[in-house]
Amino acid sequence: MKKLHIPVEHTKLANGLRVVAAPDHSAPVVTVGVYYQIGFRLEPRGRSGFAHLFEHMMFQGSENAGKMEHIRLINASGGLLNGTTHYDITNYFEAVPSNALERVLWLEADRMRALKVDNENLRNQRDVVKEEVRVNVMNQPYGGFPWLDLPPVAFRNWPNAHNFYGDFQDLDAATLADVKDFFRTYYSPNNAVLLMLGDLDPAEAFGLAKKYFEDIPSHALPPPADVSEPPQKEERRGEVEEKFGTLPALAIGYTVPPRGSKDWYAMTILDRVLHGGRAGRIYRELVFEKQIAIETDGSLDVFDANGPTQMVTRIFYRPELTSDATVAAYDAVIREVQEKEISEDELAPVKVKFRADYYSMLEGGMGSYMPRFGLMHYLACFTLFDGDPDRINTVLDGFMAVSPAEVQAAAKKYLVPTNRAVLARRPVDHGESR
Amino acid sequence: MTSTTITTPDRSSPPALGPERPVAWPKRTVLTLANGLQVVLAEARTFPKISAQLFFRSGNASVAYRSPGLAELTATVARTGTTNRPLRRIEEDLRRMGGDLGASAGADISAIGISGVADFSEGLLEMLADLARNASFPEEEFERERRQRIEGLKIQRTTPDFLATERLRRTLFGEHPYAIVAPMPEQVAAFRREQLEEFYRQNYSPANALLILVGDFSAAAILDQVEKIFGAWKAPAPAPQKWPEPPHQAGRQVHLVHLPGSVQTQVLIGNLAITRRDPDWYRMVLANSIYGGAFHSRLVMNIREQKGYTYSPRSGINALREYGYFTVHAAVRNEVTAATLTEMFYEMDRMRSLPVTDQELESARNYLTGVFSLGVATQDGVLSQLSTVFLDRLPEDYLETYRARIKALTADDILAAARRHFDSANEQIVLVGDRAQIADQATLFGPVTEYDPQGNRV
Repeated sequence: MKKLHIPVEHTKLANGLRVVAAPDHSAPVVTVGVYYQIGFRLEPRGRSGFAHLFEHMMFQGSENAGKMEHIRLINASGGLLNGTTHYDITNYFEAVPSNALERVLWLEADRMRALKVDNENLRNQRDVVKEEVRVNVMNQPYGGFPWLDLPPVAFRNWPNAHNFYGDFQDLDAATLADVKDFFRTYYSPNNAVLLMLGDLDPAEAFGLAKKYFEDIPSHALPPPADVSEPPQKEERRGEVEEKFGTLPALAIGYTVPPRGSKDWYAMTILDRVLHGGRAGRIYRELVFEKQIAIETDGSLDVFDANGPTQMVTRIFYRPELTSDATVAAYDAVIREVQEKEISEDELAPVKVKFRADYYSMLEGGMGSYMPRFGLMHYLACFTLFDGDPDRINTVLDGFMAVSPAEVQAAAKKYLVPTNRAVLARRPVDHGESR
Repeated sequence: MTSTTITTPDRSSPPALGPERPVAWPKRTVLTLANGLQVVLAEARTFPKISAQLFFRSGNASVAYRSPGLAELTATVARTGTTNRPLRRIEEDLRRMGGDLGASAGADISAIGISGVADFSEGLLEMLADLARNASFPEEEFERERRQRIEGLKIQRTTPDFLATERLRRTLFGEHPYAIVAPMPEQVAAFRREQLEEFYRQNYSPANALLILVGDFSAAAILDQVEKIFGAWKAPAPAPQKWPEPPHQAGRQVHLVHLPGSVQTQVLIGNLAITRRDPDWYRMVLANSIYGGAFHSRLVMNIREQKGYTYSPRSGINALREYGYFTVHAAVRNEVTAATLTEMFYEMDRMRSLPVTDQELESARNYLTGVFSLGVATQDGVLSQLSTVFLDRLPEDYLETYRARIKALTADDILAAARRHFDSANEQIVLVGDRAQIADQATLFGPVTEYDPQGNRV
């Protein structure tokens, strides 16, 4: 397969803001992102959901762009924008025709320098966020399954184990002072990276970055928080009621070894052997062969977690089966990968698919409406967590080098009960009325 | 005394946009093979992959009266085995080529899509042709897929936005097959394997098909592969069908789907509008964008950013082949269901009463033309635009002239489109939620008919 080389240039401004440019003149479009190294893992206690609520506040106005100006100006420049909150990062991004690059930088710099919001904005966005939680979680079948249900079962340290979307009482308790504190603490240029991709000249883009961002003052960041988990000694189990959906479901999570370690590469490839779509062992066994599951999928946040995270399998199974029988069938798949070394014939295509998926993600990602979203996202993660944006061109080597023996060793070491959590989602009985 | 000049750049207003750079859509190679297969090729060589979509111009609407959902299940089972490859081999071959495969059907079309590493273009196209010509509908896979589909339908029936869309389509389309968006589980349970085979035989034919290929290839080389792989395929096109017209709506009516335990109300209003082939299409696109089709639109400003009723309100034009319909939707907290409808109608009536401002007009024109051009940056973006052009049989210069057509529109054009196609007086209003929370609010907007989630009147 042809190897792709992404041209990447990077620099750091005097205030500590890291800046990355990746030129690509195939279309007159640029994608810009600002990533802050703060996510819902480190939101304040008693303020669950705050990192995400804060992300909404970043669209509510800054010194020179009042409420809705940011959105209006991006849309009126022919662009799309959004922001998302993850465990360890919060991002703000725009895709625009390339003649709007400078305007986008002006807007992003304005809100990095001086967020300007009031109590009315906060009340308004608190209401909006509550409706977001209702539409995505409380009023949907399998809402929040398992991204909100599983961490409280799997983890013991509050940063990893709380409700990331937020308890409503915590959202209600949030004040404007909290917003200002959070901004002051984490939204400092030296805690962020600016990414500019697409139809641009890196030298010019760096010049614009300097012009708009370099005199934003930075300050000392708080010492890194301890997000480590105490050693796990038992299998963890939990159960959540499913209000709407008709099938029982399970989520099974195994905690992943530390980012960048040799085991982490092996575990990631193991994930693709097991999940990896309909050719993956779990789908093949549980859906095609044994026909225990109606549907199953799985995932591992490979690049965008910088602390405890899990490889998770979701299984929606036939209602006449028990959860024990379903787990037993799943365990048989796990035992096989532990007991018998995977063949090169199976591993080689897994790697081809891994590379192909990586390229697809770099090109589009995020449902493809945002060009180069994945490239932006990975560059940001490699810069913030690994200090090395050039990993975009080298990271695949580590995955391609994983051997069958390493896959088996990872399965034996990590796919064990004392490293896993099992969450059951049980439909409530509505009787005949439903 | 010395003075120091400190120059602070003026940051009070946004920098002007630079000169617009031209957007070059990839050159298309368009031809029809001797067997009737229409082929569209476009090079997009930044990433070493290819994407292909094979569309058949027959979907669920063509069987809605006798077996709703048959086209969908046919597509799903067609990918589970051919006379050359059993299921497991299909999935393994795909993975070896770094591929992804999807097969599905909508109201108007059935489609098989495949993508993967460009080096394997020939293998990927061979698999696509194999699935399109030689599907064997293995009994066991049919039974399994049918069971999965039935369970999926039961879950779908607990999803507020599905229930809202289903009810609106029933209301707007009446006897026309677009009225049915999904079968009932019992209908799928009654399907026989032979019905799928029959649908496949009648509709998966080259004369009924469109193949679009985008990716890292040279058009000349890939064309040879296409001719070699698809050229010998022969089958007649299905006979065209004629369907009854949708009903005329007289006055607003409320359709309440009672979903017990809802902590929110799904609001969906709609009226029949236009297809992409209508001369008013561009005017309507612009009117929709200012009303509720973009983040900075009036509706989003009003009910999200000012009032905080909802997270993601939007309006849109849903263009099917024979008819299009206009919709406005929002998921809102129960207490503000009536207030939300009031604002939706207020903004709609404002669009029908007064011309939009110059600033709104310019912003919306830039927004639409800019976002349209973002598609050129990805293979999927190009493929999706080409699908629109060729499935709806739009003029071949559609991509190149879109910008100019949007930029030529005026405030009067928008006013005229809103008056013609935002049918405020006859909107059909669907509310999905808990009756006890919203029934009294519903009656404020017209006669109310109530349904359960299975679609029965109660």
